[in-house]
Amino acid sequence: MESIVFWGFNLYAWITIATVLTMFTVLLFTKLRADLVFLGAISILFVTGVLNAKEAFSGFSSTSVVIIGVLFVVVAGLTHTGVLQWIVKHLLGQPKTYSKAVIRLMLPVAALSSFLSNTTVVALFVGIVKMWSKKLNISPSKLLIPLSYASGMGGVCTLIGTPPNLIISGLYADHTGNAMNVLATTIPGLFCLFIGVLSIIAMRKLLPDRKAPEAAFESTSDYTIELLVPSDNPHIGETIAEAGLNDVRGGSLIEIIHYDDITSPVPDDDLIMGGDRLIFAGQIDEILDLKKSHGLVNADHHVFTMSEVDQNRQLRTAYVTFGSSLINKSIGGSSFEKDNNLTLVAVARRGKRIEESPRDVVLQAGDTLLLECPPNVKMDTDRLTSQLQFFDSAQVPNIGKKTFVSTTIMIAMVVLSALNVIPLLQCAFLAAMAMLLFRCCNVDQAMKAINWEILMVFAGSVVLGVAIQKTGIAERLAFGILDVCGTNPIVVMAAICLVGTFITEFISNTAAGAMFFPIMYEAAEKLGYEPYPFLIALMVSVSSSFATPIGSPTHMLVYGPGGYRFSDFMRIGLLMNFIILAANILIVNIIYPLTPLNP
Amino acid sequence: MNINIQEQNGTYVAKLSGWLDTNEASQFMEDIKPLEAHIDKSIVLDCKDLEYVCSLALRGMLKLKKESATKGGTLVLRNVTGEVQKVLTMTGFIKLFDIE
Repeated sequence: MESIVFWGFNLYAWITIATVLTMFTVLLFTKLRADLVFLGAISILFVTGVLNAKEAFSGFSSTSVVIIGVLFVVVAGLTHTGVLQWIVKHLLGQPKTYSKAVIRLMLPVAALSSFLSNTTVVALFVGIVKMWSKKLNISPSKLLIPLSYASGMGGVCTLIGTPPNLIISGLYADHTGNAMNVLATTIPGLFCLFIGVLSIIAMRKLLPDRKAPEAAFESTSDYTIELLVPSDNPHIGETIAEAGLNDVRGGSLIEIIHYDDITSPVPDDDLIMGGDRLIFAGQIDEILDLKKSHGLVNADHHVFTMSEVDQNRQLRTAYVTFGSSLINKSIGGSSFEKDNNLTLVAVARRGKRIEESPRDVVLQAGDTLLLECPPNVKMDTDRLTSQLQFFDSAQVPNIGKKTFVSTTIMIAMVVLSALNVIPLLQCAFLAAMAMLLFRCCNVDQAMKAINWEILMVFAGSVVLGVAIQKTGIAERLAFGILDVCGTNPIVVMAAICLVGTFITEFISNTAAGAMFFPIMYEAAEKLGYEPYPFLIALMVSVSSSFATPIGSPTHMLVYGPGGYRFSDFMRIGLLMNFIILAANILIVNIIYPLTPLNP
Repeated sequence: MNINIQEQNGTYVAKLSGWLDTNEASQFMEDIKPLEAHIDKSIVLDCKDLEYVCSLALRGMLKLKKESATKGGTLVLRNVTGEVQKVLTMTGFIKLFDIE
């Protein structure tokens, strides 16, 4: 098969190209789980003989993938002991201007993200930034994109801050036998962060000044709420006027759904029946008071008595994620509520009033849902994360002695590996063990923190990188780039980083890192230079996805809460991509001057 | 849907039969209008042959019952079974009517 060559690639290379293209098409246009898609791609490459068994499973034994898995446990220890909360409490303060607010926000977020998972940091900060923005009288949409950008740029600052760094440094160690220092990317990362913060302040006008969707849950006309009349309700048989529902404080009754017809507008003399669904528009807290005063309930099915409804259920806000299977569907038309033991109470969409009953609203990505959920202990939000992003501030751990212990463990891990006292893998294992021994998190919390889907994707990315290199695609592409860009190493570095920056807008940063590693490595070697600085530049560029909300999971976390549109990210993000690229190439070439390879 | 009103010893009995859905509801409201003239007397709605009752008709019946109570009359549902009984239970109206 290797002898059949077409357009410079043999059959194995074409199988790899077709597999990679199909895989990303499937990831972009279907809702299949990413780990399954990667596993499918690896299976194809293995079965068709592109990769042998050792290569096909190399991702699962890759040091970088193991480190990422172990770091999940270390991060669990930090988050369960309240380290993030302590930092938030002491660092944000009360800045007087927007510029100062951006600096006070972006620097701590970047510092945290350089050691912790970016998504963990942003998930925690989203709620806090929203309250903070209210206090500062700045629209949350002016601060949430900077929050997400800061976590991405902070993650680049250490090898453990973001998975692509670990993957690229792991592959580099495999190729050369030399391990990169855990702080190898720190100076380039900090410089790009500095430029990034200044750029955000300079381009603040490109950030939308938009009301947050939760404001829709606070102001009168932006949402609708549905409440059900149980069959034992004392107001059954009364008219709307007699029950006082024609004059509700903070809102109005806009529709009644009886068991076989709908009344809208609602006349004052309409009679209340058990099983009626009352649709209100108004202030959420005032209308939810009707549950107590009028014995109404939130329920997705008929309720005969109030006692059928768990009084401990609580309201939680969630956002419809991109790729959620709920998009283009109504909650009423699916079994979602029943399957997940949730009840939809209200829907808001970027401050716009939705006229329909919440259960009939055809959902879009970024819609804000107010859900009545079982108490936290009974709820498995992890199962729902592909559909909804819960905005949770309820589960805030206490700050105490363990906060200090977990921070010490984390700092010791970074310092010991940075000073090359103990290799990073061993350090990570020791830190994870220490977190468990000192009870910074329990075994259950540690196991829950390990995201197997993400690990599978990382392992798959490594294997795809191997296939791209083995089949000669990387070499051919490297030659192709050299043909177009000439032999100037800085131009070649910039060109590959530019493509990497844009590819990473659509695929995971880790996959982009794993696939561009062999191309960048080959290109550097072909030019006769040591690949190290090229790879540092690649690390920064594959994490620089600013221009689409799907470019990074942290963008999706702020997309709903900020009330953003897809184009909001484009407007500022495209410019940011070019600015950070320029800063990246400049600083990497200053800190790590290009050195020719020894002949 | 059919309605047949007869006087039996001073009690006005309306025999309801068939499927009383939303489409039939406005005709039903017209058909029971003669009972309004005897609102201060005893009225019986016999549901023996009534297969289904819609929410609009049910609310109409309750309004009639409330009106009769204010005028010193009575309104009773008789022979409530099957689907009609289910609807009355679900809506909680079963507690508001006298049923025999």
